Amino acid sequence: MAAKLNDFYKQAAQEFGLAGRIKLAMLTKISSEKAEAAPDSPENIKIFQQAMAQLRAGGG
Amino acid sequence: MKISTKLIMFFCGVVTLFVLLAVALLAQTRSVSAGYDTLLARQVRQAEAARVIQVSFKKQVQEWKDILLRGHTPDDLAKYTRQFHEQQTAVSNGAETLAADMQDAECRDLLNQFVAAHKALGEKYQAAYDVYVGGSFDFKAADKEVRGKDRPPTDLFDQIVKRLNDDVAASVAAQARAVARARNLALALSGGLLAGLGLVGFVTVRTILQRLGRLKAVSDRLAKADIEGLSVDISGPDEIGQFGDSMKGVHAAIEELTKLASAAGQA
Repeated sequence: MAAKLNDFYKQAAQEFGLAGRIKLAMLTKISSEKAEAAPDSPENIKIFQQAMAQLRAGGG
Repeated sequence: MKISTKLIMFFCGVVTLFVLLAVALLAQTRSVSAGYDTLLARQVRQAEAARVIQVSFKKQVQEWKDILLRGHTPDDLAKYTRQFHEQQTAVSNGAETLAADMQDAECRDLLNQFVAAHKALGEKYQAAYDVYVGGSFDFKAADKEVRGKDRPPTDLFDQIVKRLNDDVAASVAAQARAVARARNLALALSGGLLAGLGLVGFVTVRTILQRLGRLKAVSDRLAKADIEGLSVDISGPDEIGQFGDSMKGVHAAIEELTKLASAAGQA
């Protein structure tokens, strides 16, 4: 299970709504469904961190 | 490697190949030209000089016969005697000059033999001339002195001319063989390089088209929102790989949108 990756989706929804989730999927290229199955590897976490930073920089 | 880089490299490869071929052809033309220049400057010139000496020697013998035939008239005697000596000097000088210029040792040796034989023949002609003039123009007595004596130097010089002509023919044949070798090498090299470039170009274009085909198939399914089981496995450092990477984002976004829409529908 990828608890940390799912947390990123929850964070995106909280901060930017549904559009934020869709943009996060677009930026990470990993949908929330696939994120659930993906490992919380350092590489994946880095990808999501960078995507979140991009979302925040762009105002969602 | 990017497609644009591949195309630029391919273009540069083609241009370089043609420049190299042009340079090689230029060098080959110069080499052929230099080979024939050398041939004309030495061997052909020497063969030509030998032919001139050969003709002069025949004229000298002819002048001797004119002396015997028409020398009973003082004017003709003076005329043909002068012409005989002119030809004799031309032959002697020509043969000595040619011997000095000759690089072929055997030919030079033949020329030296001819010069000696010609000098000895000249002395015999002079003795016969003295018999002719001193014996009331008795051409039979004079002819008896030198009859057949011009044959050995003539045969000697025929050998020289034949040898020089054979040398020229051999050099021309060698030059033709060298030209054929260079031509075959140039054809093989340019053919090989063109075939190589053609193969590289074919493989590159085929790979690009195959990957573009896969990209189009993914794009078509995304356009129809047919994302069930869709996998965007197009990667690479080139423009198609980058486009495939963007497609992965679009795919993930559509998946997310579908999931949200589905969840909203259930709620």
